[in-house]
Amino acid sequence: MSRALDATLRAVVHDLADGVRPSPDLAAAALRRGRRLRRRGRATAAGAALLAVVAVTLPFVLLRPEPAARPAGPPATPPVTATPSPPIRPTPGPDWVTKPLVLPGDWVVTRAGTRAGSGKGFLLDRGRGRYLQTDRYDGIFPAPTGSLVAVTEKDRPRDVGLVDLVSGKTRWYEVGRALAGLQWSPDGRRLLFTTRQVDHFGFIVLETDGTKQAHVTGWLGCTNFCEFTWLRNGREVGLTLTARRAPESAPRDLAKGVQVFSADDGRPTRFVTMPGAPVGPDAWSPDGKLVVVQGQDAPLLVETATGRVVNPLPSADVAWVSADRLLYRRPNGSRDFVLADPTGRELVRQPLPKQLVDLELTVAPS
Amino acid sequence: MAEVTDGEFTAFVNERGAALLRVAYALAGNQHAAEDLLQNALAKAYARWPRIRGDAEPYVKRILYHDQVSGWRRRSRRSEVPVAELPERAAVGDSGDDTDLRLLLRDALRALPPRQRAVLTLRYLEDLSVEQTAALLGCRAGTVASQSAKALARLRQLVPGLDELPSRTEVTR
Repeated sequence: MSRALDATLRAVVHDLADGVRPSPDLAAAALRRGRRLRRRGRATAAGAALLAVVAVTLPFVLLRPEPAARPAGPPATPPVTATPSPPIRPTPGPDWVTKPLVLPGDWVVTRAGTRAGSGKGFLLDRGRGRYLQTDRYDGIFPAPTGSLVAVTEKDRPRDVGLVDLVSGKTRWYEVGRALAGLQWSPDGRRLLFTTRQVDHFGFIVLETDGTKQAHVTGWLGCTNFCEFTWLRNGREVGLTLTARRAPESAPRDLAKGVQVFSADDGRPTRFVTMPGAPVGPDAWSPDGKLVVVQGQDAPLLVETATGRVVNPLPSADVAWVSADRLLYRRPNGSRDFVLADPTGRELVRQPLPKQLVDLELTVAPS
Repeated sequence: MAEVTDGEFTAFVNERGAALLRVAYALAGNQHAAEDLLQNALAKAYARWPRIRGDAEPYVKRILYHDQVSGWRRRSRRSEVPVAELPERAAVGDSGDDTDLRLLLRDALRALPPRQRAVLTLRYLEDLSVEQTAALLGCRAGTVASQSAKALARLRQLVPGLDELPSRTEVTR
Protein backbone atom coordinates (compact mmCIF):
# COMPACT_ATOMS: atom_id res chain seq x y z
CA MET A 1 0.00 0.00 0.00
CA SER A 2 1.31 3.45 -0.78
CA ARG A 3 2.25 5.68 2.08
CA ALA A 4 -0.21 8.32 0.92
CA LEU A 5 -3.08 5.85 0.87
CA ASP A 6 -1.99 4.55 4.24
CA ALA A 7 -2.03 8.06 5.69
CA THR A 8 -5.36 8.92 4.09
CA LEU A 9 -7.01 5.76 5.38
CA ARG A 10 -5.68 6.42 8.84
CA ALA A 11 -7.04 9.96 8.76
CA VAL A 12 -10.42 8.81 7.50
CA VAL A 13 -10.81 6.07 10.10
CA HIS A 14 -10.04 8.67 12.75
CA ASP A 15 -12.53 11.05 11.10
CA LEU A 16 -15.13 8.34 11.26
CA ALA A 17 -14.50 7.66 14.93
CA ASP A 18 -14.56 11.38 15.67
CA GLY A 19 -18.14 11.50 14.44
CA VAL A 20 -19.42 9.91 17.62
CA ARG A 21 -21.48 11.92 20.09
CA PRO A 22 -20.99 11.55 23.85
CA SER A 23 -23.28 9.15 25.62
CA PRO A 24 -23.82 10.66 29.06
CA ASP A 25 -25.52 7.75 30.80
CA LEU A 26 -23.30 5.05 29.43
CA ALA A 27 -22.20 3.76 32.84
CA ALA A 28 -25.72 3.55 34.24
CA ALA A 29 -27.10 1.85 31.15
CA ALA A 30 -24.23 -0.64 31.04
CA LEU A 31 -24.64 -1.33 34.74
CA ARG A 32 -28.35 -2.12 34.27
CA ARG A 33 -27.66 -4.38 31.36
CA GLY A 34 -24.76 -6.02 33.16
CA ARG A 35 -26.88 -6.79 36.21
CA ARG A 36 -29.51 -8.42 34.01
CA LEU A 37 -26.82 -10.44 32.32
CA ARG A 38 -25.36 -11.52 35.62
CA ARG A 39 -28.77 -12.63 36.96
CA ARG A 40 -29.42 -14.56 33.79
CA GLY A 41 -25.97 -16.12 33.99
CA ARG A 42 -26.59 -17.31 37.53
CA ALA A 43 -29.93 -18.79 36.54
CA THR A 44 -28.49 -20.86 33.76
CA ALA A 45 -25.19 -21.34 35.52
CA ALA A 46 -23.52 -24.62 34.77
CA GLY A 47 -23.96 -24.99 31.09
CA ALA A 48 -23.55 -21.40 30.21
CA ALA A 49 -20.92 -20.76 27.65
CA LEU A 50 -18.83 -17.92 28.86
CA LEU A 51 -17.68 -15.55 26.27
CA ALA A 52 -14.23 -15.63 27.69
CA VAL A 53 -12.17 -12.96 26.30
CA VAL A 54 -9.45 -10.86 27.64
CA ALA A 55 -6.75 -8.71 26.34
CA VAL A 56 -4.48 -9.64 23.67
CA THR A 57 -1.77 -7.34 22.82
CA LEU A 58 0.65 -6.45 25.49
CA PRO A 59 1.77 -2.90 25.29
CA PHE A 60 5.49 -2.80 25.02
CA VAL A 61 7.09 -0.71 27.64
CA LEU A 62 10.80 -0.26 27.60
CA LEU A 63 12.01 -0.47 31.10
CA ARG A 64 15.29 -0.97 32.83
CA PRO A 65 16.12 -2.82 36.02
CA GLU A 66 17.25 -1.03 39.08
CA PRO A 67 21.05 -1.20 39.00
CA ALA A 68 21.63 -2.37 42.55
CA ALA A 69 18.93 -4.87 43.32
CA ARG A 70 18.43 -6.30 46.75
CA PRO A 71 17.82 -10.03 47.06
CA ALA A 72 14.16 -10.92 46.99
CA GLY A 73 12.20 -13.48 48.89
CA PRO A 74 9.01 -14.94 47.46
CA PRO A 75 5.92 -13.00 48.43
CA ALA A 76 3.98 -14.47 51.27
CA THR A 77 0.33 -13.93 50.55
CA PRO A 78 -1.31 -15.21 47.42
CA PRO A 79 -4.62 -13.39 47.05
CA VAL A 80 -4.80 -10.08 45.28
CA THR A 81 -6.22 -7.50 47.59
CA ALA A 82 -7.16 -4.05 46.47
CA THR A 83 -6.40 -1.50 49.10
CA PRO A 84 -9.40 0.77 49.25
CA SER A 85 -7.48 4.00 49.50
CA PRO A 86 -3.70 3.97 49.34
CA PRO A 87 -1.97 7.32 49.66
CA ILE A 88 -2.46 9.33 46.50
CA ARG A 89 0.18 11.78 45.43
CA PRO A 90 -0.88 15.12 44.00
CA THR A 91 -1.55 15.34 40.27
CA PRO A 92 1.33 17.12 38.54
CA GLY A 93 0.53 20.66 37.53
CA PRO A 94 0.47 22.08 34.02
CA ASP A 95 4.23 22.70 34.14
CA TRP A 96 5.01 18.99 34.42
CA VAL A 97 6.92 19.08 31.11
CA THR A 98 9.60 21.28 32.65
CA LYS A 99 11.08 18.50 34.77
CA PRO A 100 11.22 14.69 34.79
CA LEU A 101 7.94 13.18 35.91
CA VAL A 102 8.96 11.01 38.86
CA LEU A 103 6.82 7.99 39.69
CA PRO A 104 6.69 5.99 42.92
CA GLY A 105 9.85 3.92 43.23
CA ASP A 106 11.84 6.82 41.73
CA TRP A 107 11.29 5.85 38.16
CA VAL A 108 10.51 8.46 35.54
CA VAL A 109 8.34 8.67 32.47
CA THR A 110 10.72 8.77 29.50
CA ARG A 111 8.25 8.62 26.64
CA ALA A 112 4.54 9.16 26.08
CA GLY A 113 3.04 8.33 22.74
CA THR A 114 0.27 6.49 21.03
CA ARG A 115 0.30 2.71 20.83
CA ALA A 116 3.19 1.03 19.06
CA GLY A 117 5.52 3.91 19.71
CA SER A 118 3.88 6.19 17.19
CA GLY A 119 5.57 9.57 16.86
CA LYS A 120 3.27 12.14 18.45
CA GLY A 121 3.77 12.70 22.14
CA PHE A 122 6.44 13.58 24.65
CA LEU A 123 10.02 12.49 25.11
CA LEU A 124 12.23 13.06 28.14
CA ASP A 125 15.47 14.84 27.34
CA ARG A 126 17.49 13.65 30.32
CA GLY A 127 20.36 16.01 29.63
CA ARG A 128 18.17 19.08 29.84
CA GLY A 129 15.79 17.63 32.41
CA ARG A 130 12.60 18.42 30.48
CA TYR A 131 10.22 16.93 27.96
CA LEU A 132 10.28 17.51 24.24
CA GLN A 133 7.15 17.34 22.17
CA THR A 134 7.48 14.90 19.32
CA ASP A 135 5.66 14.75 16.04
CA ARG A 136 8.21 13.09 13.77
CA TYR A 137 8.85 9.42 13.15
CA ASP A 138 6.44 6.54 13.38
CA GLY A 139 8.12 4.99 16.38
CA ILE A 140 10.17 6.57 19.16
CA PHE A 141 11.92 4.39 21.74
CA PRO A 142 14.24 6.05 24.26
CA ALA A 143 17.02 3.93 25.72
CA PRO A 144 16.46 3.21 29.40
CA THR A 145 19.64 5.11 30.19
CA GLY A 146 21.74 7.71 28.42
CA SER A 147 20.82 10.01 25.57
CA LEU A 148 20.08 7.63 22.69
CA VAL A 149 16.62 7.28 21.21
CA ALA A 150 15.74 4.64 18.61
CA VAL A 151 13.38 5.86 15.91
CA THR A 152 11.56 4.08 13.09
CA GLU A 153 9.72 5.20 10.02
CA LYS A 154 7.17 3.22 8.07
CA ASP A 155 8.79 3.97 4.76
CA ARG A 156 12.08 2.58 6.06
CA PRO A 157 10.80 -0.71 7.44
CA ARG A 158 14.21 -2.39 7.47
CA ASP A 159 16.04 0.43 9.26
CA VAL A 160 16.36 1.95 12.67
CA GLY A 161 17.68 5.39 13.47
CA LEU A 162 19.60 6.26 16.62
CA VAL A 163 19.15 9.86 17.69
CA ASP A 164 21.62 11.24 20.18
CA LEU A 165 19.76 13.91 22.13
CA VAL A 166 23.03 15.48 23.26
CA SER A 167 24.57 15.97 19.83
CA GLY A 168 21.32 16.09 17.90
CA LYS A 169 22.76 13.69 15.34
CA THR A 170 20.89 10.72 13.90
CA ARG A 171 22.52 7.63 12.45
CA TRP A 172 20.48 5.13 10.47
CA TYR A 173 21.29 1.43 10.31
CA GLU A 174 19.83 -1.31 8.20
CA VAL A 175 18.69 -4.05 10.54
CA GLY A 176 16.83 -6.64 8.47
CA ARG A 177 13.53 -7.63 6.99
CA ALA A 178 10.07 -8.23 8.50
CA LEU A 179 11.06 -6.59 11.77
CA ALA A 180 8.96 -6.45 14.91
CA GLY A 181 9.30 -5.94 18.62
CA LEU A 182 12.05 -3.37 19.01
CA GLN A 183 13.30 -3.54 22.60
CA TRP A 184 16.29 -1.95 24.32
CA SER A 185 18.55 -4.07 26.48
CA PRO A 186 18.41 -3.15 30.16
CA ASP A 187 21.80 -1.41 29.95
CA GLY A 188 20.75 0.62 26.90
CA ARG A 189 23.62 -0.67 24.78
CA ARG A 190 21.85 -3.08 22.47
CA LEU A 191 18.60 -3.28 20.56
CA LEU A 192 16.65 -6.47 20.08
CA PHE A 193 14.43 -7.10 17.07
CA THR A 194 12.31 -10.05 16.11
CA THR A 195 12.55 -10.91 12.44
CA ARG A 196 9.53 -12.69 11.05
CA GLN A 197 10.87 -13.67 7.68
CA VAL A 198 9.35 -16.87 6.40
CA ASP A 199 11.83 -19.67 7.07
CA HIS A 200 14.15 -17.21 8.79
CA PHE A 201 12.27 -16.43 11.98
CA GLY A 202 14.63 -15.36 14.71
CA PHE A 203 16.14 -12.35 16.40
CA ILE A 204 18.63 -9.64 15.61
CA VAL A 205 20.79 -7.84 18.14
CA LEU A 206 22.07 -4.43 17.08
CA GLU A 207 24.85 -2.68 18.98
CA THR A 208 24.65 1.09 19.18
CA ASP A 209 27.70 1.33 16.93
CA GLY A 210 25.74 -0.40 14.17
CA THR A 211 27.23 -3.88 14.37
CA LYS A 212 24.58 -6.55 14.38
CA GLN A 213 24.12 -10.27 14.70
CA ALA A 214 21.16 -12.17 13.32
CA HIS A 215 20.15 -15.55 14.74
CA VAL A 216 17.66 -17.84 13.06
CA THR A 217 15.79 -19.91 15.63
CA GLY A 218 12.66 -21.01 13.81
CA TRP A 219 9.18 -20.46 15.25
CA LEU A 220 9.56 -23.28 17.79
CA GLY A 221 5.85 -23.36 18.47
CA CYS A 222 5.21 -19.78 19.44
CA THR A 223 1.74 -18.52 18.59
CA ASN A 224 0.37 -15.56 20.53
CA PHE A 225 3.63 -14.19 21.83
CA CYS A 226 6.02 -14.44 18.92
CA GLU A 227 8.35 -11.63 19.85
CA PHE A 228 11.68 -12.04 21.57
CA THR A 229 12.22 -10.08 24.76
CA TRP A 230 15.27 -9.38 26.87
CA LEU A 231 15.72 -11.13 30.15
CA ARG A 232 16.67 -8.95 33.06
CA ASN A 233 20.32 -10.01 32.92
CA GLY A 234 20.68 -8.34 29.51
CA ARG A 235 22.71 -11.30 28.24
CA GLU A 236 19.83 -13.51 27.22
CA VAL A 237 16.62 -13.19 25.26
CA GLY A 238 13.48 -15.29 25.50
CA LEU A 239 10.63 -16.47 23.30
CA THR A 240 7.37 -17.66 24.83
CA LEU A 241 6.21 -21.01 23.44
CA THR A 242 2.69 -22.35 23.35
CA ALA A 243 1.42 -25.43 25.16
CA ARG A 244 -2.08 -25.47 23.76
CA ARG A 245 -3.95 -23.34 21.23
CA ALA A 246 -6.99 -21.62 22.65
CA PRO A 247 -10.41 -22.11 21.14
CA GLU A 248 -11.61 -19.14 19.13
CA SER A 249 -13.61 -17.75 22.02
CA ALA A 250 -10.70 -17.85 24.48
CA PRO A 251 -8.50 -14.87 25.10
CA ARG A 252 -5.17 -16.34 24.15
CA ASP A 253 -3.22 -19.55 23.94
CA LEU A 254 -1.88 -21.35 26.97
CA ALA A 255 1.86 -20.83 27.21
CA LYS A 256 4.22 -23.54 28.35
CA GLY A 257 7.25 -21.40 29.04
CA VAL A 258 10.08 -19.30 27.75
CA GLN A 259 12.86 -20.68 25.59
CA VAL A 260 15.96 -18.70 26.49
CA PHE A 261 18.80 -17.93 24.07
CA SER A 262 22.20 -16.36 24.44
CA ALA A 263 22.03 -12.85 22.99
CA ASP A 264 25.67 -13.14 21.91
CA ASP A 265 25.64 -16.31 19.87
CA GLY A 266 21.96 -17.23 19.57
CA ARG A 267 22.37 -20.63 21.21
CA PRO A 268 19.45 -21.95 23.25
CA THR A 269 20.55 -21.94 26.87
CA ARG A 270 17.58 -23.12 28.93
CA PHE A 271 13.83 -23.44 29.11
CA VAL A 272 11.88 -21.78 31.90
CA THR A 273 8.44 -23.23 32.51
CA MET A 274 5.67 -20.69 33.07
CA PRO A 275 2.03 -20.41 32.02
CA GLY A 276 2.35 -17.04 30.33
CA ALA A 277 4.57 -14.50 28.61
CA PRO A 278 6.80 -11.89 30.27
CA VAL A 279 6.43 -8.48 28.63
CA GLY A 280 10.04 -7.42 28.97
CA PRO A 281 13.18 -7.54 31.10
CA ASP A 282 11.63 -5.86 34.09
CA ALA A 283 8.89 -8.42 34.39
CA TRP A 284 11.62 -10.58 35.98
CA SER A 285 12.35 -9.94 39.65
CA PRO A 286 15.85 -8.63 40.40
CA ASP A 287 17.00 -12.03 41.70
CA GLY A 288 15.32 -13.91 38.87
CA LYS A 289 13.24 -16.06 41.19
CA LEU A 290 9.92 -14.58 40.18
CA VAL A 291 8.43 -13.31 36.96
CA VAL A 292 5.19 -11.56 36.06
CA VAL A 293 3.55 -12.98 32.96
CA GLN A 294 0.43 -12.48 30.93
CA GLY A 295 -1.33 -15.79 31.49
CA GLN A 296 -4.10 -17.23 29.40
CA ASP A 297 -6.80 -15.43 31.39
CA ALA A 298 -5.02 -12.99 33.67
CA PRO A 299 -1.66 -11.55 34.65
CA LEU A 300 0.17 -13.91 36.99
CA LEU A 301 3.12 -13.89 39.36
CA VAL A 302 5.10 -17.07 38.76
CA GLU A 303 7.99 -18.80 40.51
CA THR A 304 10.65 -19.36 37.85
CA ALA A 305 12.21 -22.45 39.44
CA THR A 306 8.99 -24.43 39.39
CA GLY A 307 6.55 -22.62 37.14
CA ARG A 308 4.15 -22.42 40.07
CA VAL A 309 1.65 -19.56 40.04
CA VAL A 310 2.12 -17.57 43.22
CA ASN A 311 -0.82 -15.22 42.77
CA PRO A 312 -2.68 -13.26 40.11
CA LEU A 313 -1.88 -9.60 39.60
CA PRO A 314 -3.78 -6.68 38.15
CA SER A 315 -1.30 -6.06 35.31
CA ALA A 316 1.33 -7.98 33.37
CA ASP A 317 3.06 -4.85 32.20
CA VAL A 318 5.03 -4.28 35.38
CA ALA A 319 8.50 -3.23 36.43
CA TRP A 320 10.15 -4.61 39.52
CA VAL A 321 11.61 -1.41 40.89
CA SER A 322 13.10 -3.23 43.88
CA ALA A 323 13.10 -6.68 45.42
CA ASP A 324 9.53 -6.43 46.63
CA ARG A 325 7.95 -3.51 44.83
CA LEU A 326 6.19 -3.45 41.48
CA LEU A 327 5.37 -0.38 39.44
CA TYR A 328 2.56 -0.53 36.94
CA ARG A 329 -0.16 1.50 35.40
CA ARG A 330 -3.33 1.09 37.33
CA PRO A 331 -5.90 -1.06 35.54
CA ASN A 332 -9.46 0.13 34.93
CA GLY A 333 -8.24 3.22 33.26
CA SER A 334 -4.89 4.72 32.65
CA ARG A 335 -4.97 7.71 34.93
CA ASP A 336 -2.70 6.45 37.69
CA PHE A 337 0.56 4.64 38.18
CA VAL A 338 0.72 2.54 41.28
CA LEU A 339 3.46 1.09 43.43
CA ALA A 340 2.36 -2.26 44.82
CA ASP A 341 3.75 -5.24 46.62
CA PRO A 342 3.98 -8.61 44.84
CA THR A 343 0.49 -9.57 45.99
CA GLY A 344 -0.96 -6.60 44.14
CA ARG A 345 -1.65 -4.59 47.28
CA GLU A 346 -1.45 -0.95 46.30
CA LEU A 347 0.90 1.16 48.40
CA VAL A 348 0.87 4.52 46.69
CA ARG A 349 -0.74 6.00 43.63
CA GLN A 350 0.56 8.70 41.33
CA PRO A 351 -2.04 10.37 39.13
CA LEU A 352 -0.82 11.38 35.70
CA PRO A 353 -1.12 14.77 34.03
CA LYS A 354 -4.20 14.98 31.84
CA GLN A 355 -2.15 15.02 28.62
CA LEU A 356 -0.71 11.59 29.40
CA VAL A 357 -3.88 9.76 30.33
CA ASP A 358 -4.64 8.40 26.88
CA LEU A 359 -1.05 7.78 25.88
CA GLU A 360 1.14 4.75 26.25
CA LEU A 361 4.04 5.43 28.57
CA THR A 362 7.60 4.21 28.77
CA VAL A 363 9.30 4.39 32.14
CA ALA A 364 12.83 3.88 33.39
CA PRO A 365 14.85 4.44 36.54
CA SER A 366 15.53 8.10 37.21
CA MET B 1 -18.51 -6.78 47.28
CA ALA B 2 -21.25 -5.77 44.85
CA GLU B 3 -20.76 -2.15 45.83
CA VAL B 4 -17.04 -2.40 45.22
CA THR B 5 -17.66 -3.96 41.82
CA ASP B 6 -20.25 -1.36 40.90
CA GLY B 7 -17.97 1.44 42.02
CA GLU B 8 -14.96 0.14 40.14
CA PHE B 9 -17.01 -0.62 37.06
CA THR B 10 -18.62 2.82 37.05
CA ALA B 11 -15.25 4.47 37.51
CA PHE B 12 -13.88 2.45 34.62
CA VAL B 13 -16.76 3.39 32.32
CA ASN B 14 -16.53 7.03 33.33
CA GLU B 15 -12.83 7.04 32.58
CA ARG B 16 -12.69 5.00 29.43
CA GLY B 17 -16.25 5.08 28.09
CA ALA B 18 -15.67 7.93 25.66
CA ALA B 19 -12.60 6.30 24.13
CA LEU B 20 -14.37 2.96 23.86
CA LEU B 21 -17.42 4.57 22.31
CA ARG B 22 -15.17 6.04 19.66
CA VAL B 23 -13.93 2.58 18.77
CA ALA B 24 -17.47 1.24 18.79
CA TYR B 25 -18.57 4.01 16.48
CA ALA B 26 -15.80 3.24 14.01
CA LEU B 27 -16.90 -0.37 14.06
CA ALA B 28 -20.64 0.09 13.94
CA GLY B 29 -20.81 3.17 11.75
CA ASN B 30 -23.68 4.93 13.50
CA GLN B 31 -24.46 6.29 16.93
CA HIS B 32 -27.26 3.98 17.93
CA ALA B 33 -25.49 0.80 16.88
CA ALA B 34 -22.27 1.99 18.52
CA GLU B 35 -23.98 2.61 21.86
CA ASP B 36 -25.70 -0.74 21.66
CA LEU B 37 -22.50 -2.53 20.79
CA LEU B 38 -20.59 -0.87 23.61
CA GLN B 39 -23.30 -1.33 26.24
CA ASN B 40 -23.42 -4.99 25.40
CA ALA B 41 -19.66 -5.33 25.73
CA LEU B 42 -19.65 -3.39 28.99
CA ALA B 43 -22.46 -5.52 30.37
CA LYS B 44 -20.41 -8.63 29.67
CA ALA B 45 -17.45 -7.00 31.35
CA TYR B 46 -19.55 -6.19 34.39
CA ALA B 47 -20.80 -9.77 34.61
CA ARG B 48 -17.21 -11.02 34.71
CA TRP B 49 -15.72 -8.07 36.56
CA PRO B 50 -13.93 -9.94 39.36
CA ARG B 51 -12.03 -11.95 36.78
CA ILE B 52 -11.19 -9.24 34.30
CA ARG B 53 -10.87 -6.14 36.45
CA GLY B 54 -7.15 -5.95 35.75
CA ASP B 55 -7.64 -6.21 32.04
CA ALA B 56 -10.96 -4.52 31.54
CA GLU B 57 -10.27 -2.26 28.61
CA PRO B 58 -8.69 -4.86 26.32
CA TYR B 59 -11.44 -7.25 27.36
CA VAL B 60 -14.14 -4.79 26.34
CA LYS B 61 -12.40 -4.04 23.07
CA ARG B 62 -12.11 -7.69 22.26
CA ILE B 63 -15.81 -8.16 22.96
CA LEU B 64 -16.57 -5.17 20.75
CA TYR B 65 -14.69 -6.64 17.84
CA HIS B 66 -16.00 -10.14 18.33
CA ASP B 67 -19.60 -9.05 18.74
CA GLN B 68 -19.32 -6.95 15.65
CA VAL B 69 -17.81 -9.76 13.61
CA SER B 70 -20.11 -12.47 14.99
CA GLY B 71 -23.04 -10.17 14.36
CA TRP B 72 -21.83 -10.05 10.82
CA ARG B 73 -21.64 -13.84 10.68
CA ARG B 74 -25.16 -14.19 12.05
CA ARG B 75 -26.57 -11.61 9.74
CA SER B 76 -24.72 -13.08 6.81
CA ARG B 77 -24.42 -10.54 4.07
CA ARG B 78 -26.91 -8.05 5.37
CA SER B 79 -24.59 -6.42 7.73
CA GLU B 80 -23.28 -3.51 5.81
CA VAL B 81 -24.18 -0.32 7.56
CA PRO B 82 -26.95 1.32 5.61
CA VAL B 83 -25.89 4.63 4.23
CA ALA B 84 -28.28 7.18 2.89
CA GLU B 85 -26.88 6.83 -0.57
CA LEU B 86 -24.18 4.77 -2.08
CA PRO B 87 -20.94 6.69 -1.97
CA GLU B 88 -20.67 8.70 -5.08
CA ARG B 89 -17.80 7.66 -7.25
CA ALA B 90 -15.06 10.20 -7.27
CA ALA B 91 -14.25 11.60 -10.64
CA VAL B 92 -10.70 10.80 -11.60
CA GLY B 93 -8.63 13.92 -11.75
CA ASP B 94 -11.34 15.86 -9.99
CA SER B 95 -10.42 19.06 -8.23
CA GLY B 96 -7.98 17.01 -6.24
CA ASP B 97 -9.56 18.24 -3.08
CA ASP B 98 -8.41 15.95 -0.31
CA THR B 99 -11.47 16.78 1.76
CA ASP B 100 -13.83 15.47 -0.89
CA LEU B 101 -11.85 12.30 -1.16
CA ARG B 102 -11.90 11.81 2.58
CA LEU B 103 -15.65 12.34 2.75
CA LEU B 104 -16.20 9.80 0.02
CA LEU B 105 -13.84 7.42 1.67
CA ARG B 106 -15.58 7.80 5.00
CA ASP B 107 -18.90 6.87 3.43
CA ALA B 108 -17.25 3.97 1.67
CA LEU B 109 -15.78 2.74 4.95
CA ARG B 110 -19.24 2.66 6.45
CA ALA B 111 -20.40 0.53 3.58
CA LEU B 112 -17.77 -2.15 4.20
CA PRO B 113 -18.77 -5.45 5.83
CA PRO B 114 -18.07 -5.28 9.58
CA ARG B 115 -15.22 -7.77 9.47
CA GLN B 116 -13.35 -5.71 6.94
CA ARG B 117 -14.14 -2.52 8.82
CA ALA B 118 -12.98 -4.16 12.05
CA VAL B 119 -9.64 -5.00 10.48
CA LEU B 120 -9.17 -1.46 9.22
CA THR B 121 -10.24 -0.02 12.56
CA LEU B 122 -7.72 -2.14 14.41
CA ARG B 123 -4.97 -1.30 11.97
CA TYR B 124 -5.59 2.42 11.65
CA LEU B 125 -7.49 3.58 14.70
CA GLU B 126 -5.76 1.37 17.22
CA ASP B 127 -2.45 1.28 15.36
CA LEU B 128 -2.10 -2.48 15.70
CA SER B 129 0.20 -4.55 13.54
CA VAL B 130 -1.11 -7.37 11.36
CA GLU B 131 -0.02 -9.87 13.99
CA GLN B 132 -1.61 -7.95 16.83
CA THR B 133 -4.82 -7.60 14.84
CA ALA B 134 -4.84 -11.33 14.17
CA ALA B 135 -4.30 -12.05 17.85
CA LEU B 136 -7.17 -9.80 18.87
CA LEU B 137 -9.57 -11.24 16.33
CA GLY B 138 -8.42 -14.78 17.03
CA CYS B 139 -7.50 -15.51 13.43
CA ARG B 140 -4.35 -15.94 11.40
CA ALA B 141 -2.23 -13.05 10.19
CA GLY B 142 -2.96 -14.21 6.66
CA THR B 143 -6.68 -13.76 7.27
CA VAL B 144 -6.08 -10.21 8.42
CA ALA B 145 -4.01 -9.53 5.33
CA SER B 146 -6.67 -10.96 3.03
CA GLN B 147 -9.45 -9.02 4.76
CA SER B 148 -7.38 -5.85 4.44
CA ALA B 149 -6.82 -6.54 0.76
CA LYS B 150 -10.53 -7.17 0.20
CA ALA B 151 -11.39 -3.99 2.08
CA LEU B 152 -8.98 -1.97 -0.03
CA ALA B 153 -10.28 -3.52 -3.22
CA ARG B 154 -13.83 -2.62 -2.20
CA LEU B 155 -12.80 0.90 -1.28
CA ARG B 156 -11.11 1.27 -4.66
CA GLN B 157 -14.34 0.17 -6.32
CA LEU B 158 -16.34 2.71 -4.38
CA VAL B 159 -13.79 5.51 -4.55
CA PRO B 160 -11.71 5.24 -7.70
CA GLY B 161 -10.00 8.50 -6.78
CA LEU B 162 -7.98 6.48 -4.30
CA ASP B 163 -5.75 5.33 -7.08
CA GLU B 164 -4.82 8.92 -7.77
CA LEU B 165 -2.95 9.12 -4.49
CA PRO B 166 0.79 9.10 -5.06
CA SER B 167 2.36 5.72 -4.53
CA ARG B 168 5.82 6.08 -3.05
CA THR B 169 6.93 3.03 -1.29
CA GLU B 170 5.76 -0.28 0.02
CA VAL B 171 4.87 -0.55 3.67
CA THR B 172 5.62 -3.98 4.96
CA ARG B 173 4.95 -3.65 8.65
